[in-house]
Amino acid sequence: MPIEPALAFDHEFTLAELLRGINTDKLLQALSDSLQTPVQILDAKSSPLFGANSLPESNQQSINKVALIGELEPIGYIQGEASVAALKSAVQLIQMILQSNSRYLMASDIHIQTQRDDFEELQRRHDALELSKTKYKKLAESLDLRVKQQVKTIESAQIKLYENEKLASVGRLAAGVAHEINNPIGFIRSNLSSAQSYLKSLSKLDEAFKANASVSYLQQVWQEEGLAFMQEDLKDILNESIDGVDRVASIVKDLKSFSRINDAAEENADLNVIIRQMCRVSSPQLKNKLDVILDLGEIPKTFCHPAELGQVFLSLFLNAADAIQTQGKVRFKTYLREAQVCIEIRDTGCGIPAQNLAHIFDPFFTTKEVGQGVGLGLTVCLNAIKAHGGSLELKSKEGTGTLVTILLPIRHKNQ
Amino acid sequence: MAIYDEDTNRLTIKLVYYGPAMSGKTTNLMRLHDMLNPDLKGEMMMMETSNDRTLFFDLLPLGFSTPSGLLVKFKVYTVPGQVIHDSTRKAVLSRSDGVVFVADSQLSQSINNGQSFENLDANAGRVGLDLDTLPLVIQYNKRDLDNIISETDVLERWQQAPWPVTFSNALDGTGIIETLQSLLAQVFDALDPEFQFSALHGLNQESFIQQSCGCAVIH
Repeated sequence: MPIEPALAFDHEFTLAELLRGINTDKLLQALSDSLQTPVQILDAKSSPLFGANSLPESNQQSINKVALIGELEPIGYIQGEASVAALKSAVQLIQMILQSNSRYLMASDIHIQTQRDDFEELQRRHDALELSKTKYKKLAESLDLRVKQQVKTIESAQIKLYENEKLASVGRLAAGVAHEINNPIGFIRSNLSSAQSYLKSLSKLDEAFKANASVSYLQQVWQEEGLAFMQEDLKDILNESIDGVDRVASIVKDLKSFSRINDAAEENADLNVIIRQMCRVSSPQLKNKLDVILDLGEIPKTFCHPAELGQVFLSLFLNAADAIQTQGKVRFKTYLREAQVCIEIRDTGCGIPAQNLAHIFDPFFTTKEVGQGVGLGLTVCLNAIKAHGGSLELKSKEGTGTLVTILLPIRHKNQ
Repeated sequence: MAIYDEDTNRLTIKLVYYGPAMSGKTTNLMRLHDMLNPDLKGEMMMMETSNDRTLFFDLLPLGFSTPSGLLVKFKVYTVPGQVIHDSTRKAVLSRSDGVVFVADSQLSQSINNGQSFENLDANAGRVGLDLDTLPLVIQYNKRDLDNIISETDVLERWQQAPWPVTFSNALDGTGIIETLQSLLAQVFDALDPEFQFSALHGLNQESFIQQSCGCAVIH
């Protein structure tokens, strides 16, 4: 909306301005009627303004002229063939009209001026607001972008943690298994050392034979080197070593079949076998405090990821073991229920407080100390079971123990 | 700023009576209209609402001519004191050559006086006037009332300020002319360098004030 650059409200008004909006023909007519002679209105420089042709050319001497005063000084004149006194009273009348009009003009001018100032001020504030709006919009946009980037970073970190969690239980298992393997290796090594020293005694006897020593001498060496004991002992340590090597072989075999972490292969597998293997590789390290009971019923083979399910069982087993502080029982039970395989893992551990039960499947929910677990164990288990089309439920009572029930649909695939 | 019109040899000087609502600005002008007697004195233009509150402004034109032919014209305005009319106050204050700040002497009005003076300072800044150089007189009006701030307190309060302080009762005209003359003295000093009143028009400060008011200078 363009606003004309109005003059200041307090500028000096000309006569023409002050007569604006007034019908000058009627004014002149009224003046002429009352003075009974035509009159003319002149501006401040005595140039005719209104009624230019109303005065007769003759009788210039008889024409009188009286000033119209604005605020203080003449702003125009009226002239006509009338007495000065008569013209003066006409001037009085016109001045009253001018004053009234000047009030109106000044009032309207100052009104326009203040309106324009107020409008400009509003415009300025509006512009300032627009500017800050744009600024905040930009900020919000970049904030949105940064939040999205941050979310992406967090998500990828979570995926990494989730993958790590899959390995974590196996890592714990590996530590225990290493110990189990180290034990036989230790005594096999020591047995082999004994065998080495027995070889020295045999060399002495061999030397005596080669020197055609007498029977009595040979008997003396036999006695001195304790070859009778050596024969017995050698038998023992060889048997022991074979046992040890067999143990290592069996552990490695279980471990090999159990810990195929990233083996994507699916096959028809016996879940009881998976549970047994898992217990065999993980129980030895826990045998001091755990009484592991396997109550495994008749169940058909089911088409599944043996490695993944093995991890689930291991994870739940380790949870159960962790829940038991000093001495307790962990019972695995498998049976058929309405064409589904049901696997129960029940422990006599400390249980889960009621207020935590709602959160146990939430990612990163953990009650363990920092460094003891990131809170993804049950999340990983639940996801694996769901991927098999099954369900996982957990019931727990603080101070009594926990029961995890897994239901898996029976699937079979002809291979 | 004073406007010189070469065409008519006229110098127009704008004076403004500023101050809080109901402090007596319009009454100041009415008394000046009654009491002053310069060569030229126009009709007083008043724009008030029905309850006597100034709506836009009041205007009193005064003037005199020097022997040199210069017409010195004063347009003396009041501003509307009510807080809501700030834009109008700003418009009236714009381009003024001198300001009388009319304060209300009543003890109950000291906060209003302070706020109005701050408003004068702010609006002066907005229209490009500097209170450090603008001719300004502080007038404490309504000295006839009870419960008013004492002259000692007023003088003490304004001691650090550079502006003269006057006391008045606008209703009976006491101190009204003194206030204007005090302002005119400053206005003369401020405008003389540019318009050469003494050199070109034979006016010194005293005769300038005398002619403006049509009466002797009150000392």
